[in-house]
Amino acid sequence: MQVDLLQGTLDMLILKTLTGGPMHGYAVASWLQRTTDDALCVEEGSLYPALHRMTRRGWVKADWGVSENNRRAKFYTLTAEGRRQLKEESSSWERLTQAVAKVLHAQPATQGA
Amino acid sequence: MRWIEDRYHALRALVRRGQLETDVSDELEFHLAMRTEEYVARGMTPEAARAEALKRFGSVDAYRQETHMIDRGLAREVRRTELWDMARRETRQALRSLSRSPSFAWMAVLTLALGLGATTALYSVVDAVVLRPLPYAAPEQLVWLDSPVPKLGPDAKWDLSEAGFHHFAREARAFASLGAFDQYNGSLAADDGATRVDVATVSAGMMDVLRARPALGRLITPDVDTPGSPRVVVLGHDFWVRRYGADPRVVGTSIRLDDEPTEVIGVMAPGLHLPDDTVDLWAPLRMDPTSPPVNSHWVRTVGRLREGFTVEQAQAELTGLTGRLPELFPRAYQESFIRETGFTTRVMPLARHVVGDVGRVLWILLGSVALVLLIACANVANLFLVRAEARRRELAVRSALGAGRGDLAWHALTESLLLCGVAGALGLLLAHGALRLLVSLEPTGLPRLREVGLGWHGVLFASGLALLAGGVFGLFPLLTGNKDLARLRESGRGLTASRRSNLVRGGMVVGQVGLAVVLLAAAGVMLRSYWTLHRVDPGLDARNVLTFDIVLPRTRYTNYDEVNRFHREMLARIEALPGVTSASVSTHLPLRRFGGCAAMAAEGQSTEPNKQPCVTSPGAAPGYFKALGIPLVQGREFTWDDLEQKADGVLVTKALAERLWPGQDALGKGIRGNGLGPPYYRVIGVTGPLRAQGLDKPPSEAVFFPLAPAEGLPLWGPRRSPTVVVRTATSRPELLTPDIRRILAELDDTVPMANVETMERVVAKSPSVARASFTLFLLGISGGMALLLSAVGLYGVIAFIVGQRRGELGIRLALGARAAQVAGMVVLQSLRFTGLGIVLGLLGALAMGQVLGALLFEVSAADPLVLAGVCGLLVTLAVLASYGPARRASRVDPAEVLRSE
Repeated sequence: MQVDLLQGTLDMLILKTLTGGPMHGYAVASWLQRTTDDALCVEEGSLYPALHRMTRRGWVKADWGVSENNRRAKFYTLTAEGRRQLKEESSSWERLTQAVAKVLHAQPATQGA
Repeated sequence: MRWIEDRYHALRALVRRGQLETDVSDELEFHLAMRTEEYVARGMTPEAARAEALKRFGSVDAYRQETHMIDRGLAREVRRTELWDMARRETRQALRSLSRSPSFAWMAVLTLALGLGATTALYSVVDAVVLRPLPYAAPEQLVWLDSPVPKLGPDAKWDLSEAGFHHFAREARAFASLGAFDQYNGSLAADDGATRVDVATVSAGMMDVLRARPALGRLITPDVDTPGSPRVVVLGHDFWVRRYGADPRVVGTSIRLDDEPTEVIGVMAPGLHLPDDTVDLWAPLRMDPTSPPVNSHWVRTVGRLREGFTVEQAQAELTGLTGRLPELFPRAYQESFIRETGFTTRVMPLARHVVGDVGRVLWILLGSVALVLLIACANVANLFLVRAEARRRELAVRSALGAGRGDLAWHALTESLLLCGVAGALGLLLAHGALRLLVSLEPTGLPRLREVGLGWHGVLFASGLALLAGGVFGLFPLLTGNKDLARLRESGRGLTASRRSNLVRGGMVVGQVGLAVVLLAAAGVMLRSYWTLHRVDPGLDARNVLTFDIVLPRTRYTNYDEVNRFHREMLARIEALPGVTSASVSTHLPLRRFGGCAAMAAEGQSTEPNKQPCVTSPGAAPGYFKALGIPLVQGREFTWDDLEQKADGVLVTKALAERLWPGQDALGKGIRGNGLGPPYYRVIGVTGPLRAQGLDKPPSEAVFFPLAPAEGLPLWGPRRSPTVVVRTATSRPELLTPDIRRILAELDDTVPMANVETMERVVAKSPSVARASFTLFLLGISGGMALLLSAVGLYGVIAFIVGQRRGELGIRLALGARAAQVAGMVVLQSLRFTGLGIVLGLLGALAMGQVLGALLFEVSAADPLVLAGVCGLLVTLAVLASYGPARRASRVDPAEVLRSE
């Protein structure tokens, strides 16, 4: 089963992916795919605008380089600011999921109790 | 040049747009290729793999657009920050380097700021008064009409007559419309007494001519501009704001103007006034086109040319129409009248009428401050040069270490732009202050003063100059080109100033001295001119006299008796005040309002052509000559008894008596205006020479008439806005103002008091004196600044040369030269520069004299005394400026110099 991603969550996932070191877009897409066992539906086309937007915000830095099979490719590197952003987003994400989980596991109260 | 290339590439990469597109495509292509390979590896055919990769990717177009947009934004930001960073880096470096020589920086900034400030201030005045079009719609179509009468006097001119105005308005095709106007001081009733208001009475056509628009209500239209129509006014915008707090409800109400109810029908659009005066209230002129034509020229006329017509065409048409006047109005315009006066009708651009010849003065003054700026620039250039010399070794080392020549030039440019930028900003502040001061001083004779201020034109002007100066100074040291690197290799000590830079420096000092001579000569002759003017005896005693205007509402004071009864009562009460010696009243006031040009006929003399006198004819109350301190050379002045008995006595000025009755006794002679034949007024007194029309003008010809006509003799109607003169025993007559105000309020609280001034102020503000002092003031400042700046420049260069020749001087001293000889050498050097400068300056001063001549009063522009004085001043200056360096030169220690060689 595939799950749609919330806007902003993609950014977080990309940032997380880049903690492994500089990567080009294709590598990011492949890694995400592998890691989630294809559970997340990432339309690859939307990956790049996200990468470029984060470049503009200064979360990642883009440089042209040569890929493992000798092709010109653009590599993205996480910046200090990007790291900070990732930390913030993942902690708020965790708070969200914990809160949601609490609700899902709780016993609803009966009226007038 | 490497630095240029570097910068070129950096900028190029930043601005290249196409690069962004390619980058986006490349990235996409890389992704698709990788994915395709992966699928092929899994066993797909290449085509199917490619299709699958594309499908997986989603919308390629959407990706392209979105990504490209993000990247473009990014590129813009990067470009901005890079430029900003570069500017900041260069500025910081420049600041650091300047802060290492703060005295240089301050000196340069202050010198330039003074020059820029003065130039910008005067440019702003020239711009507002001369260059900017008049503040009306399509101002180039506006023209002024008047009637020169050259045979009555070289500059004599009248306005139009009613008959002439209507004739031209009906017939002339060159005008889209003609407007007539007049002005008077009205009295507006208020709770706290009456106020004087400036009323413009205008024909309905005037609204079309000025293209006036109402801010509220309506304007003067033909239906309210007819005799007998109800009294209405339109409020001037400023007056509406000042007096009524911009309350729109005032439109439609009734105000009491000249003690009569008057309906307010509208408010004028903001900023609209008469071409040469401010207006509080606009009222209809209400001329009657059917009234019988008379030869009275009081109609002030402005016209708007019809589309496609020129001033020349209008002039040709008017000349033709004027020629028909005798035929159309034979009683008002006799052929003999035209012949004897040289009467014509003239049309000129309105701007020229308003600005007059003030433009000439202003351009001269702007020129003079521009010269000061030039001198200031020479000083600053010198400072830059000295600094460049001082840093030559540092720069040589830096360039040896790999700094490109371009890099060094770039730094020099940043530094100089920074200095000039600060100087420019400071100069703008100075200019703003100077203009505020100028406007608050209200110099008389400067038209369009209310439009003067520091506008964006001035800011642009100053910025342009600052930028230009910054560029020139930044690149200036390059001119004195050098081969520093080679020199550095040769010897550390070989780095002295090049011959070429010494030549530049000397040339600048000579130029400075020359310009200073020109400016000082101009200021000098102006000073002499002013002095001469000041020593002219006006023919009255201006000390301890207070003057003020009053307005008698025409509805309350309808005839001579009512007007004169008020005067007599008012003067009696004023004379009863402690400290008052005498008081009187007149329709005119010498040196402020003493115009008019009436034809006078003397008994027994035929009026020949060219001998028709152009005479001022004021009315004066008893005691007038005593109050103003005008001496009588013969006879006596008016008494109240004369006035009561309607006696026919008049007084004439000495100039008129000498022209009409040369070598004869003027007393008892007959004279009258408006026509020939008896009866005549009789001369009962002759005043001393009276220069009532300006100290620069010849003594006035005037007949002083009584305030009421003699039995059976014509006189103008009673004048209701006269000037009162009060002679006191104290030197501060203005202290009487509250007492006099109280007296007026007790007598009649509809009579306002205005233009309260001491007679000494009146003299100082009279056009010739005001212009001379204004010009002198500004030329004096220019001259003083020029002197100071040249002294500094001279000192700087001499000191520099002495410093440079220390070695040589030391050797001379060691070889036995006396200290005085060495000092003399230095002084002589200074005198050589100055001498050359003086020679050039004198030539310049003579050329300047051609321009200045028209502004001078009884002084030649090439006044030998002034020129000699200026030369003496500069020679003294040359000696003084070289004194310090000469002392230093004579104290050079030979031993020390020789050791260090």
